[in-house]
Amino acid sequence: MKLSRVNTGLLVAIIAINSYLILSPLWPKVSFWLDRHDTKHIQQLSHAIHTTPPQGIMANQLIIPSMGFQESIYESRDQSALHKGLWRRPLTSTPDKGNNTVIIGHRFTYTNPRGVFYNLDKVHVGDELGVVWNQKMYRYKVTTVQQVPATAIKVEAPTDTPTLTLYTCTPLWLPKDRLVVTALLEKTL
Amino acid sequence: MSEKTRFWILLALLIASIALLVAANALASRVSIG
Repeated sequence: MKLSRVNTGLLVAIIAINSYLILSPLWPKVSFWLDRHDTKHIQQLSHAIHTTPPQGIMANQLIIPSMGFQESIYESRDQSALHKGLWRRPLTSTPDKGNNTVIIGHRFTYTNPRGVFYNLDKVHVGDELGVVWNQKMYRYKVTTVQQVPATAIKVEAPTDTPTLTLYTCTPLWLPKDRLVVTALLEKTL
Repeated sequence: MSEKTRFWILLALLIASIALLVAANALASRVSIG
């Protein structure tokens, strides 16, 4: 009788773990679908990348209105910053210095944060995005969205024009490649 | 099937599930290029 209860507990645990394993990668997709009508938030973000950021309060941030996305950018020598959210690759440039600024984030992990770049595939050529960097707004326009192998280090190479490169893992279930969004600087505010 | 046999099968499945979760998380965490 006692072993029977233990077996029931084990079965519940197995079902719970596997449900989490299968369903949690889908949750950000559901969340995005539910928020898609929140046009006010998208308008606010779109307005934000067209205006000078308020002085003294904003951390470095990446804003992508088409994704309804606004997240802080973290700096670190190693990948530890990825656990907080977006990580600017340390050997690449920063928006104020031109060249190629590379910012990466997890597509999805079972630990926190979940899917900071989960919806990066919703970004299209022509979309505008903004980076708040040292109290200035750098507005970019997306020029390419491509999928490359995980060995394609050329996406981090220096560029002649001020460029923003964003990338994350893809495809979602077997992330062997990288989804790379490249944007060129339009204006500094 | 006896309860004891069922226990060992379920325990093995639980360990396999946890291993799968850890492996899936490790795979999802490899984001850098290079």
